[in-house]
Amino acid sequence: MLEIRNVSKIYGEGTAKVVALNNVSLQVNSGDFIAIMGPSGSGKSTLLNVIGGLDYPSSGEVILDGKRIDNLDENALVVVRRGKVAYVFQQYHLLPSLTALENVLLPLIFCGANGGGGKAMDILKRVGLEKRAGHKPSELSGGEQQRVAIARALVNEPSLILADEPTGNMDRKTGGEILGLFDQLNKEGHSIIMVTHDREIARHAKEIIVLQDGQIVGKINSEGGGDKC
Amino acid sequence: MKLYRIVLKDIVRRKKRVLFAALGVAIGTMTVVGVLTIAFAGQARIYNQLEKYGPNLAVMPAISNVDTHLGDLSLGTLAVGENYIPEEKLPQIRQIADGEIKAALGITDEGDIATIAPKLYINTEVKGTSMMVVGVEPEEESKIKTWWKIQEGKYIERSDEVLVGAVAAKLLSLNIGDTVELKGSAVTVTGILEETGSNDDYQIFVPLETLQKAFGKEGLISSMDIRALCNACPVEVIANAINQNITGVRAIAVKQVAEAEMGVMERMNKFMLALGGITLAVGLFGVVNTMMSSVNERIKDIGIMRAVGASRNQIMRVFIYEAIIIGIVGGIFGYLAGTLLAYIVGPIIFEGTNINFVLKYLPLSLALAILVAVIATLYPALRATRIRVADSFRSL
Repeated sequence: MLEIRNVSKIYGEGTAKVVALNNVSLQVNSGDFIAIMGPSGSGKSTLLNVIGGLDYPSSGEVILDGKRIDNLDENALVVVRRGKVAYVFQQYHLLPSLTALENVLLPLIFCGANGGGGKAMDILKRVGLEKRAGHKPSELSGGEQQRVAIARALVNEPSLILADEPTGNMDRKTGGEILGLFDQLNKEGHSIIMVTHDREIARHAKEIIVLQDGQIVGKINSEGGGDKC
Repeated sequence: MKLYRIVLKDIVRRKKRVLFAALGVAIGTMTVVGVLTIAFAGQARIYNQLEKYGPNLAVMPAISNVDTHLGDLSLGTLAVGENYIPEEKLPQIRQIADGEIKAALGITDEGDIATIAPKLYINTEVKGTSMMVVGVEPEEESKIKTWWKIQEGKYIERSDEVLVGAVAAKLLSLNIGDTVELKGSAVTVTGILEETGSNDDYQIFVPLETLQKAFGKEGLISSMDIRALCNACPVEVIANAINQNITGVRAIAVKQVAEAEMGVMERMNKFMLALGGITLAVGLFGVVNTMMSSVNERIKDIGIMRAVGASRNQIMRVFIYEAIIIGIVGGIFGYLAGTLLAYIVGPIIFEGTNINFVLKYLPLSLALAILVAVIATLYPALRATRIRVADSFRSL
């Protein structure tokens, strides 16, 4: 469903030039659960942003469902974000003035859909937060905020979920619960690409891709709980 | 839930910022509403007076005072002697006034049409205080001063009766039945006027003949008021005809005075409105500034909205909605503050003017405020739509 061909991303020019991604190619199939690992500054987040059309590659192609999205203009990318791809961020990125339920509704509002309250509530139930629906992000714990963010990602029924260090701000127990949620979503058929620097977390994925200095230096099939990294 | 609800919720969270922007708009609209409200009251006053005095002409001696100048400096006016109009000019003046009215309205009837009320002003001591005593023809005077109301007693009829203005009565502690000496002749107070807010309040009215005899001014008057038959009567034409045909007098149509006053006021209003416009423009820059920082502090929120599917148009709309709300709040504040300003400043500019709030300026104030807020928001909002999602998160 997703193919990345020889993607490079270069920031700055001349001596200030930073190569964030260097000729990266990757194939993601429907139902995949891929973890992108690597040290800080290895280009993990940049790769995720380029995959989802949040950032433009300097060269190379990003093909989603048979269509190039790396050369789309902003208006066309909106369509991609409204249906095919959804994001979960380390900092949750919820709107502080809206309640949990309203945050989940947000993608539907931008889609121009009326109502949707029932659907949003169902999804909040799925992530176990129906009792906190009327609370604002400031009244929720980190784990709860991330559940809201996941529910928001699910409301448009995306085929691909992109998660950038989704458990980075959590203790192990809470992080484990969130990862369990991702496992479950993957079982239900959602494709997931998750960026992390934690090997334990990466083991939840079916495939691990190791990035270093903007290049893929290893691909590990982790199914079966192998610990070869 | 709709997009505007998201905006409303966000505004509730950032009320101080929004209020600050609204104040920037309010200052400008306040000035405009204030100026308009004062102008409205001033105009209403002039119209009111036109309705009251519109058909009137005042006839005075041609030279009653001389302006003294030194170069371009005015040193004030100098009254030259005592100037009077001989009473025998009265029939001539009546002939001209009636003739012009008849000609204008196509009346062929014989008989008097205009009311002519001659007056003699004498400054004299009454009960030890310097007072203005006015000799009038009681019947004619009451036709001109239709707004006169008797507070106590009755209107003057006989030659030994006087009518006292409200303030003068208080000042001299005069009551009905009191006797007043006017250079030897005794007259009795028969009526006290209700306050009129004009000079009449300070004056004492005596039948003309009585005053003429007492002060040896037989056959002389100081001025006369002419009241034409109707508001549409050609008072300017009458004034011109009198000025051309009768020497030694000067006729002025009240309408002309009112129109001149109106012209001065209109020029002043234009000037003040220009000031209001400048204030509005300054307020606009204030709002641009506030909206700019509003965009900057919400870069992350904008990124979030973009990441979950907001289009550039929707981001634009978020800011335009916010501007409209700022405009509504600012417009209401501006209207209230402007009206308050008018209540405070209006009476200082136009003495004795009653300021009333003008409700029709509320929609005007709202429209103006919304317009300014939206214009001020366009550029900041455009910048907000150009924010790239990845950049908005990277900056954190």
